[in-house]
Amino acid sequence: MKIFKNTVIVILCLLLIPATAISTAAVKQRFADGPNFVFSGGPLEAGELYAGAEPDWSFVNDIPTIEMQLMEPPTSRIIWTVEHNSKLYVWSGYMGTTVGQMWKQWPLQAEEDGRALMRINGIRYERQLNRIQSGPELVGITQAITAKYPSRTTSEAVESGDVWLFEATPRD
Amino acid sequence: MKKFYVGVAIALVLTILAVLFVPGVDDFVEQTFQRYLGRAAR
Repeated sequence: MKIFKNTVIVILCLLLIPATAISTAAVKQRFADGPNFVFSGGPLEAGELYAGAEPDWSFVNDIPTIEMQLMEPPTSRIIWTVEHNSKLYVWSGYMGTTVGQMWKQWPLQAEEDGRALMRINGIRYERQLNRIQSGPELVGITQAITAKYPSRTTSEAVESGDVWLFEATPRD
Repeated sequence: MKKFYVGVAIALVLTILAVLFVPGVDDFVEQTFQRYLGRAAR
């Protein structure tokens, strides 16, 4: 019995080391200007704040990822993006899985308060995230997504809630 | 077991210091975590 107990203690102690590494890296990233890979970063502070007419968003189709910060909470993450019909879209997959819902908190937060700041090529854009769950434009948007990324996003996945899709509109 | 606990404590402190101050360690930890997380989410 004592051997079993000691074995469990040893395993837990050894698991504590990678858990500590992950926690430390996550906390460290929260104090950074922007995200890194998977952990949320702090507020996007560097970069010119865009002011002017609505940009031609087609340039984002040549950019693999962008940085996006919500105003509440003021944390940032790296996400995929796509342009379709001159509109900018972001989305989150895995929302139908338990792990996905634990991992991806920003879609839930964005649904409550959609104010967002996006940093693309070093320039920050103020946007408003509006969730799209249905509509004829879904087919074109998901086709744009699958054309750009190795993704199996479909309009059915958006409608079923497995993928949360947002249009990033200008903020009033 | 006491020596083991001391060893684990030292390893934890070294881990924290490495992630905080050694260049590239935080990136390695994050990328490894991302790999496992992505697999788990599927």
